[in-house]
Amino acid sequence: MDWAELIGRVAARGDREAFKALFEHFAPRIKGFLIKTGCNPDEAEEIAQSTMVSVWTKAGQFDPSTAGAAAWIFTIARNQRIDAARKATREGRLSKEIVLDEEADPTLAADQIVSRVEDATRVAAAIERLSVEQSTVIRLSFIEERPHSEIAAVLGLPLGTVKSRIRLAMNRLRDLLDDAT
Amino acid sequence: MTISHHPPEDLLADYATGALDEAERLVVGVHVAECGRCRRFVRAIEQLAGASLAQVEPVAMRADAFDAVMARIDRRPQPARQVSAIAEIDPELADLPEMVKRYKIGKRRRVAPGISMRPIMLSGDGKSRAFLLRSEPGARMLEHTHSGNELTCVLKGSFSHLGGYYGPGDFDYGDDEVDHRPVVGDEGPCVCLVAMTGDLRMHGLLGRLISPFVRL
Repeated sequence: MDWAELIGRVAARGDREAFKALFEHFAPRIKGFLIKTGCNPDEAEEIAQSTMVSVWTKAGQFDPSTAGAAAWIFTIARNQRIDAARKATREGRLSKEIVLDEEADPTLAADQIVSRVEDATRVAAAIERLSVEQSTVIRLSFIEERPHSEIAAVLGLPLGTVKSRIRLAMNRLRDLLDDAT
Repeated sequence: MTISHHPPEDLLADYATGALDEAERLVVGVHVAECGRCRRFVRAIEQLAGASLAQVEPVAMRADAFDAVMARIDRRPQPARQVSAIAEIDPELADLPEMVKRYKIGKRRRVAPGISMRPIMLSGDGKSRAFLLRSEPGARMLEHTHSGNELTCVLKGSFSHLGGYYGPGDFDYGDDEVDHRPVVGDEGPCVCLVAMTGDLRMHGLLGRLISPFVRL
């Protein structure tokens, strides 16, 4: 399935069928991802729903030449999660001092089209050259937010090896991104 | 703008996955907005996260979830209000980065001779605080360490300490092992955006005497 094309159809003509296909694929995965990284099922359901509302409203901002569909949807879910936490605190404190718009982070969505396309090419090339071993530890440690001890158990490695492997993977990613000039 | 000091990679990764608290996210975000190198690193982590999202075990949504989402789309909310009114009437805040302008910024408070700060009113979901720190040329921060972390992004002017020279866009990361004693460059006032967890600890007798007043 070409997810980018479906997002394009939602943007171009509010295509509900395309949106339904996106919903059926991504919403349960967003929910699963959020539960895996510490949300309770109710929070995860709510954030997954509001993420899908944003996928619809922001579909016009999606640019397949700068981001993969899954990465783009991930950033929306991430911002929705940040926003949900912020709203919960605000309600808790009955505070109304700040006016925030719903997008948690404007810099990750905005401007500089040309350099964004170049960035995307460099990023894709760097990820391509990362070894499976390296992308695995980055995923487990930062994306799934698992403690080092758990990663050690999953990979059957000593704790010290896990720590140095994470550090090496991060340095390698940085070097690969710098190289690609 | 030449940026030569960057956040550590794990901080950038936590920024990309949304794991930072509000104050830290703001300071890292302001650096990332100015720094192509770090922006690409953040994008790489986002791409890896996207791949991870695509592979995760799905968890069924509620039976009525799709209809609920369509109903919310059909009565779409008004676009949220933006712009902080303060930035427009306060010339000092006019050239701040957009991300900072979206917050209400509190009154200036004097910290030490030649040094003052303005708190940034966060929504309070985290354990750290953020503020704008303004130091006059030649000012010298008191020697200090931290009980937590300190993240700094230079907005204007410069400072130097043992770690080198820090100009606009540069990012400085201090943890509880770093002993800071930055000296402000003499080209003009230095304005920094700072996120801080824990407390500032002054060294020496003077530090201990004034620290009750230095409520950073």
